[in-house]
Amino acid sequence: MSHRARAAIAASLIVGLGLAGCGVRPADVDGTLATVEDSGVLRAGVSENPPWSSISGAEPTGSEVTLIERFAARHGAEVEWRAGTEEVLVDALHAGSLDVVVGGLTDATPWLDDAAVSDVYTEVVSPTGETEKHVMLTRAGENGLLMELETFLREEVDG
Amino acid sequence: MTKSALRDGLDSDGRAALRSAVRMEWATIAFLAVTIPVVGIVTGSSQAMRAAWIEDMLSLAPPLAFLVAVRVMARAATPRYPYGYFRSVGVAHLVAGVALLAMGAFLLVDSTLTLIRGDRPPIGSVEVFGESMWLGWFMMAAMAATIPLPIWFGRVKMRLAKELHNKVLYADADMNKADWMTAVGSIVGVGGIGLGLWWADAAAAIFISGSILWDGLKNTKGAVTDLMDTRATTFDDAKPHPDIDRIHDHLSSLRWVDEVRTRTRDQGQFFHIEAFVKPRKRRMPRLDDIERAQDECRALDWKMHDVVIVPVRKFPETASARSGES
Repeated sequence: MSHRARAAIAASLIVGLGLAGCGVRPADVDGTLATVEDSGVLRAGVSENPPWSSISGAEPTGSEVTLIERFAARHGAEVEWRAGTEEVLVDALHAGSLDVVVGGLTDATPWLDDAAVSDVYTEVVSPTGETEKHVMLTRAGENGLLMELETFLREEVDG
Repeated sequence: MTKSALRDGLDSDGRAALRSAVRMEWATIAFLAVTIPVVGIVTGSSQAMRAAWIEDMLSLAPPLAFLVAVRVMARAATPRYPYGYFRSVGVAHLVAGVALLAMGAFLLVDSTLTLIRGDRPPIGSVEVFGESMWLGWFMMAAMAATIPLPIWFGRVKMRLAKELHNKVLYADADMNKADWMTAVGSIVGVGGIGLGLWWADAAAAIFISGSILWDGLKNTKGAVTDLMDTRATTFDDAKPHPDIDRIHDHLSSLRWVDEVRTRTRDQGQFFHIEAFVKPRKRRMPRLDDIERAQDECRALDWKMHDVVIVPVRKFPETASARSGES
């Protein structure tokens, strides 16, 4: 018992702390990030919420739309946009027909159970004086993509 | 200074063991007071981490139960509670057992549903010193850090539980000793997420819930059995307590005693023994003889808190002979 216990401690310490040292990225359950890089297409959903995102013109616009396009470009991909309401987009995200969703979402989003919510990438104070912490959604389980997007957003927003 | 029924009942080694046990339980609570918030902060959306976190919180119950029971047991017997407060250990044991049982069952159902639904746990990253780090590493590191101390706590408490004949302490030690499996389980679960195995997390959570449920079953069964006045056993319920045989041996060796049968209740910390004695030639023993025999029995071990000797013509049916005899 004590030998096994000690071996378990040693093994977990080595694995846990050893890997924690380097910023190793987790794998995607469905390999989304690799698919994006291979196919050159990032499937993104967008809903109306200016100035973050707007679908009133021919092409989607807004600060988050720009960010996603830059993120895709970094991985050698083009963005294939799909416009819709949040619910429709989150359903598509859950089903795996979208990779990310933007729409000026905050960390108060109700979609916690259906999607992966990114780390807060920027904070703004709304006209009513409330602090809004902005996030994006990725497909749950695609943790490599999630971390890659979060890393990208941190670099972009911090300068 | 109030009279402490508990300390008065123990010998000097027992008192020292009790002091160590109280210290160990406080140390356990202090350890959990640190690890519960840390694990809680890094838990995120991993089901395995949630299960491990809830188990951490539940493992507060046995130390608290022990400390409360030690306080309550210290009270002297009163006319209203003529057997004293020793049973509080059993009550505390039952409460801790039921808490584990209920939470284990809940978590098992919850984790199984998570697995059936095919929920994929999202675990993101945080920025540490300008570097993005995956939260999963922090989860694994936190769980790895909780492994060594409980194993040590478990070993020390196991020794003290044996010395003190305290079953709550034993249950607590047993849980501490098995705690590393929970930690390793959650590390494997989170590691599985890191490798892109979505089911690993829920599977690890099911394993952890199973271990909580098992602890609950064992403890509830043990507590209920004790409260039902089962035959007195050793602290780990492995075999009948040897002290009972010593009573038989001692009483049988007395000149005025022909045959002995006993009924023993384990009151949690101390025994309450009814010894039925057939006097030799059916001649009623002198009161002095009975009193002396009583004192001698009590002197055999501090656990024999209360020994009643009853001279009888015919044994009650349920009174038992020395082990190995019928």
